[in-house]
Amino acid sequence: MNLAMAERLPPDTLHAEGLAWPLGAPEAQHARQVEGPAPLLGLAAVETRLGAHGFGPFTSSLRAGERVAILGPSGAGKSTLLKLMSGERAARRGELRFDGVPCARWALPALARRRAVLPQSFAVAFGLPVELVVSLGRVARDHDPGQTGIVASALALAQAAHLAGRRFDTLSGGEQARVQLARVFAQVWDEREALVLVDEPLAALDPGLQFELMDALQVFSAERGHALVAVLHDLNQALSGFERLWLMQQGQLIADLPANRHAVGALERLYGIGLRCVDGSDGGFAVITQRCVASNAEVPA
Amino acid sequence: MFAALLLAALLAAQFGAVGIQWVDWSSAWSPAGADAPVSAGAHVLWNIRLPRVVFALWIGAALGASGALTQALFRNPLADPSLLGVTGGAACAAALTIVAFAGAQATLPMAWRPWVLPVSAFVGALSVCFALDRLARWVTPGSISGLLLTGVALNAVAVSVIGLCTYLATDEQLRSLSFWTLGSLAGAGWPLVAAIAVLVLGAAWRAQRLARVLNALALGEEVAGHIGVSAQHLRAQAIVLVALLCGFAVAWCGTIAFVGLIAPHLARSVVGPDQRKVLPASLVIGALLLLLADTFARTLVVPAEIPVGIFTALIGGPVLLVMLADLARRRGGVG
Amino acid sequence: MRRLTLPADASRRAWLLRAGALVATVGSATSARAAAPAQRIVSIGGALTEMVFAIGAEPSLVGIDTTSLYPEGVRKLPNVGYARALSAEGVLALAPTQVIATEDAGPPAVLRQIGAAGVPVTILSANHRFEGMLERLQRVGELTARVPQATVLAQQLRADWARAQAAVVARAAARTNAQAAPRVLFVLSHSTSQVMVAGAGTSAEAMIEYAGAVNALAGFKGYKPLTPEAVIAARPDLILATEQGLQAAGGTAGLLKLPGLAQTPAGRPQRIVALEATWLLGFGPRLPAALQQLDAAFAAALKA
Repeated sequence: MNLAMAERLPPDTLHAEGLAWPLGAPEAQHARQVEGPAPLLGLAAVETRLGAHGFGPFTSSLRAGERVAILGPSGAGKSTLLKLMSGERAARRGELRFDGVPCARWALPALARRRAVLPQSFAVAFGLPVELVVSLGRVARDHDPGQTGIVASALALAQAAHLAGRRFDTLSGGEQARVQLARVFAQVWDEREALVLVDEPLAALDPGLQFELMDALQVFSAERGHALVAVLHDLNQALSGFERLWLMQQGQLIADLPANRHAVGALERLYGIGLRCVDGSDGGFAVITQRCVASNAEVPA
Repeated sequence: MFAALLLAALLAAQFGAVGIQWVDWSSAWSPAGADAPVSAGAHVLWNIRLPRVVFALWIGAALGASGALTQALFRNPLADPSLLGVTGGAACAAALTIVAFAGAQATLPMAWRPWVLPVSAFVGALSVCFALDRLARWVTPGSISGLLLTGVALNAVAVSVIGLCTYLATDEQLRSLSFWTLGSLAGAGWPLVAAIAVLVLGAAWRAQRLARVLNALALGEEVAGHIGVSAQHLRAQAIVLVALLCGFAVAWCGTIAFVGLIAPHLARSVVGPDQRKVLPASLVIGALLLLLADTFARTLVVPAEIPVGIFTALIGGPVLLVMLADLARRRGGVG
Repeated sequence: MRRLTLPADASRRAWLLRAGALVATVGSATSARAAAPAQRIVSIGGALTEMVFAIGAEPSLVGIDTTSLYPEGVRKLPNVGYARALSAEGVLALAPTQVIATEDAGPPAVLRQIGAAGVPVTILSANHRFEGMLERLQRVGELTARVPQATVLAQQLRADWARAQAAVVARAAARTNAQAAPRVLFVLSHSTSQVMVAGAGTSAEAMIEYAGAVNALAGFKGYKPLTPEAVIAARPDLILATEQGLQAAGGTAGLLKLPGLAQTPAGRPQRIVALEATWLLGFGPRLPAALQQLDAAFAAALKA
């Protein structure tokens, strides 16, 4: 952890109500790990570079069944962190462990059964039929007797059953998103406690669709005990659907907070905006963005 | 589809410069004694025309399969094995052999001389293809589109070498080179046909086993990694197969354009885009295409012969235009 | 009679077949004649075709290649295409008893196939020398069973050659006091983009030397692309070209527009000699006549 970074932010943001873990303090990490079962995913000082920009070091861990939303301004490195976590990008320094085994030792097909990724873009060449695209989620399995049934169920869960039989390149953006989501479902359908990573996939979709699909994703993960990590821009989605928030800024993970009202202040400082909490009738709450009013906190450069 | 292939082959064998009667066909079943005279028609049929017809089928299949593999690798229906440097390497080696090493050929024993050009072209095709792969891994590691661009660069180098050879060539060398470039299936005997049959069957079997994971590449390299398919591993295997199949075809027959481009496209329009079906269909359609082109090539201006590459280009050009129009229409129509 | 399925030449083929059948029946009726079997010759190479015509064996000729352009009647015969890209079936369809070819003929696999079908293929290689031409003539005579005619023709050609060479020598003798042998540059220009000049070991140089001149370009073998510096350094007194090449370059004016040519001793007074390509470089039976005309043309151009 970059202590210099921590020093720049006012101390009360980090230790508000004693509910946030001080970041990267090795003793605290160690204590946390000793408490519960072995983490699904563990990052230990993982760093990488993209040209002149450094990302990391990231130190954190994730347990099965947790739901984490990664938030931060553009260019903060959210997608890079997600790529590190999915194993798509190799870390230059530090170690990433998945199910206790270092990422480098995982064979690709085996890793594909334990973690699924929904990417940002959906391009598929050759106009493959929808069922083939969904069944490709399970291509790494040599022997797959229940595939047709799983594909059908995955399509149904993603509200895409009516798209069966169509070619992928004839679908609209929203329909393509649903089919790709079905692919992710199919990939870890019959696994337990796997990891699902989602990278801003629903950003360009209409609000109704966004709700449907996030719901489907959360129901799916909850049923199977999967951990869900999503990069989001929608603060309300993050606050309502997820339990943990990872805040990123300029390539660093600056906060790991539970998703409740107390995180709102950190969010305001992260994005440089004002947020007004509004209580909902069901006990939940929503935030409404407003322009930043004068505050004594540093505005992120 | 195979039945159509067989029928087409039989029909093609019937047409040709020399007239064939039924008795010539039946001479295969009732072989005469060693000293009994074989009619000229039968001789031409069994020793010249049938080997050529079967050769055209196998070469067409090889080109079709390598085209399907290349398109799957680059995820682009307009990709062609020449992008991997196979034709460039073969042409480069052929040009060098014809022009630069013309004198050296005179020192070889007569029996070896006919083999010099095809063998060197094959070696050239393989080495440029593999060099391209290595170079691309070094310059743009881990990217298949980097492979494409490196291929463009390497092809440019090959073209300049060929240009240099053309510049330095004498008149006869120039004619030899341009005829090699136009492509021809002449002169195939049964041993050569057997060799290519073995190669195509082996490579096709291997490629079929890759077909399932080749589908995964269509989702993109990153997504392929997510679902457990190593794009790098796949790329290496695909390149080896394309180099062998297309390299052999180009080395022996010169550059025969468009078969590798069109056969997979036609296959996709018939059986759909699933690679498990596209690969075998490309084999058959490639074979049919080349057989058709070769039959025209050797019967239109009897007793002379038009290089077969001209016909594949004649058929291929318009088909390519139709493909482009179709693609554009489809892209424009997506909501 | 074998049935030949050739759509394009069907009618002419039918005529030939009928004529051939007539001759065959007439021939077989007179058993004395039946001793010499009907010959069907395919000739590949312009010079060889000319030789076949010159010794009167043209009734046996059933096929020629693209370089066989003389005499005029030869173009009516079936054309087996470019010598380097022969078709086995195409040649065999003409039912030849003998194939006579230059060393250019190919591809080798096709020649093997023709041979394997029982048709002898004889390759007569060329050198650019008169004696070599006579040897080929003799071979052609043997292959077409017209040895006496070939011998007679050879004698005649030797006489013509001696006369032509005598004229050359006489001209050279008349000249030696005044100046050296003329320097001649041969320009091969099939297309404006590809202009070549002849160096050592080419048929053009052989003809130039036979005519008592000297190749202006020295130091390289074969044909090379034309460079202005080389041409000016060569200081040719005469430019030699083929008629077809001269036409392709756009006549005398067009040829002189090529870089460097106008600045040579040949270019300024426009001393260009052009002869028809197969006449000049064919090295066939018309060689003595060609030498004579070349010599006269050189003399005329130098005087001008």
